[in-house]
Amino acid sequence: MRRPSRLTLVLLYLVLIIAVFIAIYPIWFVFLAALRPGQRLLTLNLVGMFLPVEVTWENFHAILFDMPFLTWLKNSLFIATLTTVFCVSLATTGAFAFSRFQFKGRETALILLLAIQSFPGILALVPIAQILRSLGLFGTHWGLILAYSTGTLVFTTWNLKGYFDTIPIEIEEAALIDGATPLQAFLQIGLPLARPALAVTALFGFLAGWNEYIMAEVMLVGKEEMFTLPVGLTHLAQDMEIPWGLFAAGALLISVPTLLVFLSLQRYLESGLTLGGVKG
Amino acid sequence: MGVSYRGWKKRLIILLFTAPTMIGVTILSLYPMLYNIFISLTNRSRFHYKPPEDIWHCDPKTLQHYCWQQPLLGNYQEIFGPLVTKEALEAWLRLFIVIAPLLLVAWAVRRVKEKSLSPPSTWYWWPVGMAVSAVLWVVVKANEAIALLSDASDFFIVMFHTFLYVLACIPFFFLFGLILALILNNRHIKAKGAWRTLLIFPWAVPSYITALIWQFFFRTEQGTINQVLKLFGIQGPAWLQDPIWAFVAVVVINIWLSYPFFMVVILGALQSIPQDQYEAAEVDGATWFQQLTRITLPLLRPAVMPAIVLSAITTFQMFNTVWLVTAGGPIRGAGKPGVTEFVMIYGYKTLFRGDRYADAGAYATVIFILLFFATLFSLRFTKITKGAYQ
Repeated sequence: MRRPSRLTLVLLYLVLIIAVFIAIYPIWFVFLAALRPGQRLLTLNLVGMFLPVEVTWENFHAILFDMPFLTWLKNSLFIATLTTVFCVSLATTGAFAFSRFQFKGRETALILLLAIQSFPGILALVPIAQILRSLGLFGTHWGLILAYSTGTLVFTTWNLKGYFDTIPIEIEEAALIDGATPLQAFLQIGLPLARPALAVTALFGFLAGWNEYIMAEVMLVGKEEMFTLPVGLTHLAQDMEIPWGLFAAGALLISVPTLLVFLSLQRYLESGLTLGGVKG
Repeated sequence: MGVSYRGWKKRLIILLFTAPTMIGVTILSLYPMLYNIFISLTNRSRFHYKPPEDIWHCDPKTLQHYCWQQPLLGNYQEIFGPLVTKEALEAWLRLFIVIAPLLLVAWAVRRVKEKSLSPPSTWYWWPVGMAVSAVLWVVVKANEAIALLSDASDFFIVMFHTFLYVLACIPFFFLFGLILALILNNRHIKAKGAWRTLLIFPWAVPSYITALIWQFFFRTEQGTINQVLKLFGIQGPAWLQDPIWAFVAVVVINIWLSYPFFMVVILGALQSIPQDQYEAAEVDGATWFQQLTRITLPLLRPAVMPAIVLSAITTFQMFNTVWLVTAGGPIRGAGKPGVTEFVMIYGYKTLFRGDRYADAGAYATVIFILLFFATLFSLRFTKITKGAYQ
């Protein structure tokens, strides 16, 4: 590659700077609003739109201790963690089998999974609610966990299968010849090699539980102490007089951990997100 | 695999391995789907909400119970009926005339590429086709045809707006993703990791939070965008109240949310392109633009096509963000779907605002069939059903 001219380099950096500004300004904006005294998002002070001018921690204090924020956080953590565990453990063996075994109905089953995936989730809320009701899980966190982990199951199975496909099958075949059982081949060879895909799958499972809003809103209606963070925060933002400062502080407290988890796994994103087996 | 296992033993292993996935999917995905199809054949609604005592006979005295719809496919007729009247068919014909030149160009381009080993340059055929389409649009009064269909059917206008939305979003996803990935892939840019991390932010922050923040940015009086415009002496539009600007706003927000995904996918694909291809091209005196169009773009295709198809499907089903920003508004008139009332929002409103369970069921089934075919189509790019041994 030729060395670009100095002007080109300057232009490239300029594009990057503008793009980064647009990418992070909305989040920076939340940060500013959280630090600002009072409950407003707008400031007519031009500098205040870009830099913190008055700094206070009272919004953080208020959202943490005057609002049921910590309860919501606990609910969300519980739901997202168990969703991750369930969707990964339900999907892994299936994905492994779909990638490794040759059997009648394999392709049909995969297409069936795809078909189910295309059913619009929001519009299935009524029957899902009905099943959960008959299981006695409607309006409970376990009901949500069940709905979330099966809701992401098709994606997770696909993604893991796509990654298993890229692992040379010969490694396991060698192990089988040496007398390993299929379960051993799966646990001791398949799983460790699929670590990047497992990380990404777990991340998406976690985010499915952590960020989902509309199903939780419908299922937990009116039970403030059971709310998840998305439901609690959007309720804050939909009050007649929106306590923006509180909302911003809460949003920031949620975003930062999510951001950190996401960014720490980002090196896996390129390799672990197989888009259904395109790579490799 | 299956080196050492045959017959029932192998079958048992496969069954055990796939059982967790299949059982989970059956209970909470397959059953709701089938149940939904059942509901779509009944008259269940706010007024007929109780489970039937005798599904075959709607007792006129106990109207609260639901039963089979009369006729059975009545809810589907309600959706498609208005689209096949005589006037509607005429309108469809006019719309078909408008897109015919584009179909012709697509067919011709493919044909030329198949026929010869060094196909002639065909890029200018597209603008020509588009120009012909534009002329035909005026000649056959396509906008009147669209207005007629929109007045006749909610389903048409919702689908029309949604397709428009997908078409408006996807090229920008790709364009911004490509530009940023190309810059980040340049060897002479420093601190790549840091730039990339910052650029991924929109993907990493929960979208219901950023949706609410953007909703504030686009407010007419206090909104940040209009405040900044005011500094330059421009009176910004009433973004979320104006039909066209509201549409633009949800497009902008979706681009902001989605370009990082494309950037990551393209960046991954760029890194797998062998450097010697460029070196050879450079020796032959190829310009930067030629390298882009002849090497980079064709080699990106296998990675980018699935990303495009997948995000077209997710954009088609977009709910959360648009719901939190515009709630489907601004309304175009009483009882009519709003400009940003896309497929899922319309379905949600039918279900939860109107309690029209049976109508929503039929609607969901139709959308499901559409999405299913879109997914099958995407299979052509992903080859997902192939196994490792193939």
